[in-house]
Amino acid sequence: MLLLLTNLSAVLLFLLCPWWVLRREFGGAGVLAGTFGLIDPQQLGIPDTLAVGWIPRLSWAWVLLALLSCLALGIKERQVRARWLYSLGVGGLVLFGLGLLWFYGAVGVVNGAALAEGIPPTRLPLRRFSPSLASYASFAYALLLLLLGRLQLPGGKAFLVRRRQIIVPLSALGAAVAAGAVVVGLLRPGLGSSPDSPFFVKLSTKLDLITYTFQVLFSPITHLPGLFQSLLLATPLIFTGLAVAFGFHAGLFNIGAPGQLTMGAIATMLVGVYLPGPGWLTLPLSILAAAAGGALWGGIPGWLKARFGTHEVINTIMMNYIAASIFLFFISANQYRFFGYPVTLPFKAPGPEARSYEIRPESRLPSLLELLGLQGSGPGTLSWAWPLALLAGVGFYLFCRGWPLQRRCIGSLAAGLGGYLLGGILPGWPVEVPTGLAAIRLNGAFLIALLAVAVVNVYLWGTLEGYELRAMGFSPRAAEYAGVNLGQKQIWAMAISGALAGLAATHYVLGAGLEEYRLKQSLPAQVGFDGIAVALMGQNSPLGIVLTALLFGVLLTGGLRLNLELGISRELVTALQALIVLFIAAGGLLPGYFTDPLQAAQVEMDCDEGST
Amino acid sequence: MATLFWALIPATLRSTTPLLLTALGGMYSERSGVVNIALEGIILFGALAAAVTTQRLEASLLAQTPAAQVGWIPWVGLLAGALGGVAIAFVHALMCIRYRADQIVSGTAINLLAMSVPSLVLQSFYGNTTNSQEIVNRLPLWHGFSPLVYLAFLLVPISWWLLFKTPWGLRLRAVGEHPQAAATMGVDVLGMRYTAVLLSGLLGGLAGAYLSIGFLNQFVRNMSAGKGFIALAAMIFGKWHPFGILGATLLFGATDALAIQLQGGDVMPPVLIQALPFVLTMGVLSGVLSRTRQTRPPAALGKIYNN
Repeated sequence: MLLLLTNLSAVLLFLLCPWWVLRREFGGAGVLAGTFGLIDPQQLGIPDTLAVGWIPRLSWAWVLLALLSCLALGIKERQVRARWLYSLGVGGLVLFGLGLLWFYGAVGVVNGAALAEGIPPTRLPLRRFSPSLASYASFAYALLLLLLGRLQLPGGKAFLVRRRQIIVPLSALGAAVAAGAVVVGLLRPGLGSSPDSPFFVKLSTKLDLITYTFQVLFSPITHLPGLFQSLLLATPLIFTGLAVAFGFHAGLFNIGAPGQLTMGAIATMLVGVYLPGPGWLTLPLSILAAAAGGALWGGIPGWLKARFGTHEVINTIMMNYIAASIFLFFISANQYRFFGYPVTLPFKAPGPEARSYEIRPESRLPSLLELLGLQGSGPGTLSWAWPLALLAGVGFYLFCRGWPLQRRCIGSLAAGLGGYLLGGILPGWPVEVPTGLAAIRLNGAFLIALLAVAVVNVYLWGTLEGYELRAMGFSPRAAEYAGVNLGQKQIWAMAISGALAGLAATHYVLGAGLEEYRLKQSLPAQVGFDGIAVALMGQNSPLGIVLTALLFGVLLTGGLRLNLELGISRELVTALQALIVLFIAAGGLLPGYFTDPLQAAQVEMDCDEGST
Repeated sequence: MATLFWALIPATLRSTTPLLLTALGGMYSERSGVVNIALEGIILFGALAAAVTTQRLEASLLAQTPAAQVGWIPWVGLLAGALGGVAIAFVHALMCIRYRADQIVSGTAINLLAMSVPSLVLQSFYGNTTNSQEIVNRLPLWHGFSPLVYLAFLLVPISWWLLFKTPWGLRLRAVGEHPQAAATMGVDVLGMRYTAVLLSGLLGGLAGAYLSIGFLNQFVRNMSAGKGFIALAAMIFGKWHPFGILGATLLFGATDALAIQLQGGDVMPPVLIQALPFVLTMGVLSGVLSRTRQTRPPAALGKIYNN
């Protein structure tokens, strides 16, 4: 029944949604092509040479396909039904491919003719064009048909349940995107439509607006500077996501990452600005200071929980507000009065802006391009030192699975060092750095983040302490019975979690994540909250966290353009993250056997019995 | 000193009101077994709904006669605020009860939504992301106090009566203590929980409306400034009991009022004074939990009920 409804809504979607955007102006207005012909609210027009006759025919083919699959669902025999669904799904994929081929072919013909006439590439008649909602929907629909076909065969449910680590986050992401689309659709008029447009135009332009919003959000993956910028914005998210996930593994919910990040930033600023000495000493000390500041701010709620039993959620939230106050106290002014007596602090740099003095040049984190041996934009030679070091270190660690952990780590370090030296000797690779890339301040903090991911991975799954920590997370009572000192473990877990959040400050302060090598008032402490979404969506696994952080980095980068082009606040991305948290908490709105481990095991067991 | 003291009492009553309303709401929710950490977000959504509704309603009037006072407009705004709170509480209830989400994570998600969704709404209505347009028709003052002040303090004995003297209250507490037992006696556990969470949304929404169209005359981003969390702490400190909550919120309200009074003086820098209520909250919570073993939350609090 539910499947039939889905199918009918797919038919409606194919009929009503625009399929292709033939041409789009800055600001979003464009020419839409749908099942019932072209929609051109702004009278932009398209070249006569553009072939559009195939569009309605293709759309009707899709409608036919969806109706056929309705019929296929009614087939009694399981095997036959599965075969029909499979063939319809493959047919859908072929149809989708054909559509893409025709679309890009038609556009290519027009643009090719213009290029042949000598029109520069920036002034082509069809400069911006894209598939639209119905095209994406048709692709998803074809995949859905294939999946449905798999579900009809024995063991289909278990097939999905085994992959719940991926399916739950993806389902939550889909639900969040849908909810975000509804919010955008409610708040904004359609692209290029006016209040007195006919209803169908309004609907189409609104659907186009939704599609375009998410196209812009995901657009940074298509070009190198966008990807670089995404990595930059992902760096602090890796730290905070790791911090929150570490807490989750210990059964603690650390919402205090914003405060821990702030305290880490203050600590690293104090060391980075005021500690004199050579760079090889002060830079590591500054990084450690960031960790220590965060560890202090995380350890206090841990201690309060261990000693008094107060819930860490309330305490970490309170600590966030307190940290924000201390932060402003340090950098917003220098003259204060305590009980009538004047006190002068040395921390705020002169000027109207609330910011600290500059970090000493020795204590700064180099940018990633500098680490690769490149100086700014233009031609340069890529040094192999760091890439080889990373490759050798990680490769060694993964290769020697059988070795005891200690030897594995030491060997991995040695291999990394060897790779670094070897890379330093090898001749560099000449490359051309585009100007857009050089302006992005992706820095060494990204490497620290990857290192932190590796260390946490080893600690949690490779050491006795990590095992005890996870045992406490699964069942505190069982862990205590087995001899784990719960109180000590809670303090320790919160302190490490805080230290990880505090390390995110290295990116902002030591790596100039805020455009300058200073502590500035614009420090985005709420990145700590984003860490919750990263941890949940990454299912608390290190790889998942890195991938999720990258995804959010892409969305945040796209959010910048969204504001420029459509006037939609980049807060949309924050809202999406919050929705992801909400839907993951609800198990991706999936049935219980996806989220409840016991029920999941039951499903898998039933499948195994059925197959033998 | 005496004048300072007499100035503090009305200020205390004013800053206690939103805390009291929210904490009472949280009490209903938690007595039914649903942790409601979403109170902060509920306040914000209530405040947003109240401010935007009031502004939209009076906009056409103001175009004809500037500074027009119309009595009914703020009351409709108040209703909108309450409904905004109920709507967002319904999301929390749906996630926690229907979809069996972790209640703390769900509440956190709602608080995160409350930090970003208002910006989107404000931008589409007013073109900026931080505050709404100022309104003219605020809630009236009765003898110097907003009607919600009277309502909040009246709700304390009413809540006590509802919770401890009516069959409904007994069922609510039973659902929070031992849902299986309550279900065996024919109590609709899920229905009671939905009612209780929606009730907390109603009260939290009223608190939000008090902030945006009673205390101020516009919505400002994150204007609740942690009041929802302090209310949550006050509820724990008040042992999930209406009169305990009254005492606890009066303490926090007095600290708030004192902090506002101290802002002007030179006892402490204002930025540090802002942190005082939070330091006090942490201290009080740790103190009360270590001192007495009697403070026990409802037994089924935060546990998912499978029927």
